[in-house]
Amino acid sequence: MNHQSRSRLLLAGIASAVIGTTALSPAWAQENEVVMQDPGGAYGEALREVMYDPFTEETGIKVVTVQEARSGPRIKAQVEAGRTEWDQVFIFDQETKLLGDCCLEKIDYSKLDESAQKTLATMPDNLKRPNGVALQVIGIGLSYNTDKFSGDNVPQSWADFWNTEKFPGNRCLPAWPRFVFEAALMADGVAKEDLYPVDMDRALKKIAEIKPHVSKWWTTAAQAPQLLLDGEADMCMAYTGRINSLVINEGAPVDLNWNQGFVYYDFFSIPKGAPHMENSLKLLSWRLDAERAAELTTQYPVALPSPLVFEAADPDVSRLWANNPENLKKAVEWSPDFWGAQSQDGRSTNEEYGQEKLNALLAQ
Amino acid sequence: MSTVTADWSAAPATPWRERLKNPAWLLVPAAGFLAFIYLLPLFDLVRIAMSGATPWVYFERVFAVPLYWDALVRTMQISFTVAFLCLLFGYPTALLIHRSRGITQMLIATAIILPYFIAILIRTYAWMVLLGRNGPINKFLQWLGILSEPAQLLFNRGSVLLGMTAVLLPLMVLSIYSSVSRLDPGLTRAAQASGAGPIATFWRVLLPLTAPGMGAGFLLVFVTALGFFITPTLLGGPGDMMFAMHITQQADFVSSEGFLQALAVVLLAITLVVVAVAGRFLGFEFIWGGGKLNETHAKPQTDDTATSTTVTERRTIGMTIADTIGWPILRLLSALPGWTGTLTVRLMGGFVIATLIVPIIVVMIISFSKASFLTFPPPGWSFRWYEKFLTDSQWISAFTSSLTIAVISSAMAVTLGGLAAMGIVRSRIKGKTILMLLLVSPVIVPPVVLGLSLYSLFLQFDLVGTIGGLAAAHAIGGIPIVVVIVAAALQGVDPKLEQAASVHGASPITVFRTVTLPAIAPGLAAAAFFAFLHSFDELVLSLFLSSANLQTLPLRLWADVNYQLNPVLAVVSTLEVLLVVGGIILARPVLARSRAA
Repeated sequence: MNHQSRSRLLLAGIASAVIGTTALSPAWAQENEVVMQDPGGAYGEALREVMYDPFTEETGIKVVTVQEARSGPRIKAQVEAGRTEWDQVFIFDQETKLLGDCCLEKIDYSKLDESAQKTLATMPDNLKRPNGVALQVIGIGLSYNTDKFSGDNVPQSWADFWNTEKFPGNRCLPAWPRFVFEAALMADGVAKEDLYPVDMDRALKKIAEIKPHVSKWWTTAAQAPQLLLDGEADMCMAYTGRINSLVINEGAPVDLNWNQGFVYYDFFSIPKGAPHMENSLKLLSWRLDAERAAELTTQYPVALPSPLVFEAADPDVSRLWANNPENLKKAVEWSPDFWGAQSQDGRSTNEEYGQEKLNALLAQ
Repeated sequence: MSTVTADWSAAPATPWRERLKNPAWLLVPAAGFLAFIYLLPLFDLVRIAMSGATPWVYFERVFAVPLYWDALVRTMQISFTVAFLCLLFGYPTALLIHRSRGITQMLIATAIILPYFIAILIRTYAWMVLLGRNGPINKFLQWLGILSEPAQLLFNRGSVLLGMTAVLLPLMVLSIYSSVSRLDPGLTRAAQASGAGPIATFWRVLLPLTAPGMGAGFLLVFVTALGFFITPTLLGGPGDMMFAMHITQQADFVSSEGFLQALAVVLLAITLVVVAVAGRFLGFEFIWGGGKLNETHAKPQTDDTATSTTVTERRTIGMTIADTIGWPILRLLSALPGWTGTLTVRLMGGFVIATLIVPIIVVMIISFSKASFLTFPPPGWSFRWYEKFLTDSQWISAFTSSLTIAVISSAMAVTLGGLAAMGIVRSRIKGKTILMLLLVSPVIVPPVVLGLSLYSLFLQFDLVGTIGGLAAAHAIGGIPIVVVIVAAALQGVDPKLEQAASVHGASPITVFRTVTLPAIAPGLAAAAFFAFLHSFDELVLSLFLSSANLQTLPLRLWADVNYQLNPVLAVVSTLEVLLVVGGIILARPVLARSRAA
């Protein structure tokens, strides 16, 4: 009796171990929630506080966030396997085209609510595409530690950034070709109207000059401000949102210069086969409400590109927006199309090609 | 031969007897599990890598672009240097453990073993804190007046080598210690009695006898380092890109399918070639820690002889080199007074222990910091980061998910691995070495490769982001741990006891329950604990296989290291250290008993 029950226990153990691995279907598919890609860090916290928690309170829909800097490849893998798990993602401009046919749902704009329609009406067509809507304007600019550089002695351009004699100190730059190649060309004297197509060899040559002074080539948005605060770098190419939130919320000794900065849009899309399509559209409506979008920027100054939101915002906050006309004037019109295009050797996109070249240089 | 007769005479009793006599079927569950979740995805990976216009087109790109070739060479260089440094510092440490006694020995051993069970991510993070611009090392050097302003200690080759060496040292020390501890102390005494000085004893007796342990440790560290990803990502600069990092970077591009898999296949192939060549010389037993299987009955004899012949050959070459070059140098060294040797061992061992323990202590201190960025010593004290951790629902849910997954994963690994260990130790089937190699091989497959290959399997079977799926993935690495520990425990059980019981009419289940199980219970418990920790600490597979709804603790840590470096990480690290210390204290009586047995 005794040993029989024991052996049964053992068998049950094996069976549950084996079955457990194959039969546990994801329980989330039925739940009332929406799965949203999240930028993390201070921006993620602001989104949670201003957008998601009130949304859950109002609708009862839980917002589940996934921290992920870049979702493109994962969307592709999920959609191709027929197992989409995300309901809403933000992707690069060029990815709305690269992924458009295979992996992104057409957004049914008529299903969005009234306040969202109002905001959308004020946005240019290029920012509300069939499979993605631009929800955040992202700026990348030259930022620096104000303990180190202040008064007249502040960097004004990428040429200054490259000038380590006039502005001694460590630098940090993203470990990507986009933005860095353009900045290098401007530092080398190329006018901002003549950047494209990017002369990669020339850019790389210029990057080789600054390389010994770069303490860290960063890979996620929060690293650059962290490096500035920790003193690992004194001058960085950084996302303007985080730098500005440090300025507004914490009075940290950092500042940035918009001159020759880059402005681009993150597009919000719904992957094909998203498990909570309806909820995803509801969340999109929620975020497109001009008042709320303006409120979000008081916590984290990344704005929605609509004049309606601009009007609703406190001028003291909106002066820090990447799409503030004052700032836009100084900025570079960045070309996602160039980076999404096929590279000269035909093997990949310009972005991947540039990445390989940059990696090779950095590895030397 | 008497064993055979005993079995034979008792054979007709029940059908169970037949199965006990041939317990090879116990291997089936583990083999089936690994075939499905481990081998199948790896084959699929190779298939995708060869699915281009021509089978080789993606591989051509890997080798045509100098970037990847350079990364391969660099990866080999870094791994080799790290293995060498580990050997250099690990050997004196192993000797130190061996030579000290009582409480000292226990403390030193704990200092080595404790870090071994703390997640690599956490130990790397500790080095980021330690080497940071406002970190204790910079502060200390400034205080001494050596530096006038903080130096850039992070993000270079040196910090990568230091971090990786510190992370992998325990592996080396444990490998060497296992061969040092098996040494017959009579041999060194005999050498000294025959008039050999301490240096001659070391050179002619100790070193040759511990060489297999050194070789095993070197290769384990080398192979593990080849697939390293976490430490070089966090501590390195752009010039320190290792191959596994290229794989994760490529995973960020939409259009790199096929090429991505080709990169992974190349890394896998190199790892396997290194292991194969090493196994040829050392015997594949080095992977699971010394030729314990050799000591059992019924093992294919062929490779035994092969090993011994190669060993003698190498020894002769080794001896010539030793006598012509090494010996004169040692003669010179022997002019030094006798205590210098002991001092060297103590100094290097002490240095190693400091390297392993200091980072952990610094992190524990920083968890009580008031500041929101990393600076040491903390400008003030507070519990705010503990409060933040305990009140943040995301941290807490990550913690519970990790706990649940680790418990399930450990149960799976113990069930499958325990049965397999019994099958391999108690059966007489051929090709045991190959079977053991299959069971233990997940240890050597780079986690990045495994994670990438599993991702498509998990998508197909809807396992991405399920607790069961993640637990199963972690069990792939848990099974080798269990198999090795339980197999060792089983070999400690005298088969004659089992035979005696069955001769007296006990059914096989009763034999197992009353004789085998009590004897291996400590081993099983230890195996369960280690399999639990393996899953609890696992990051790389989870990076590929988790989902929005399933965040594990290491994943949260990883996100925070990358997105916002703050003292919450130190809090989690402190809690993990306490968990491991608690686990080891609880497991200590059990472990002590298993060592006695």
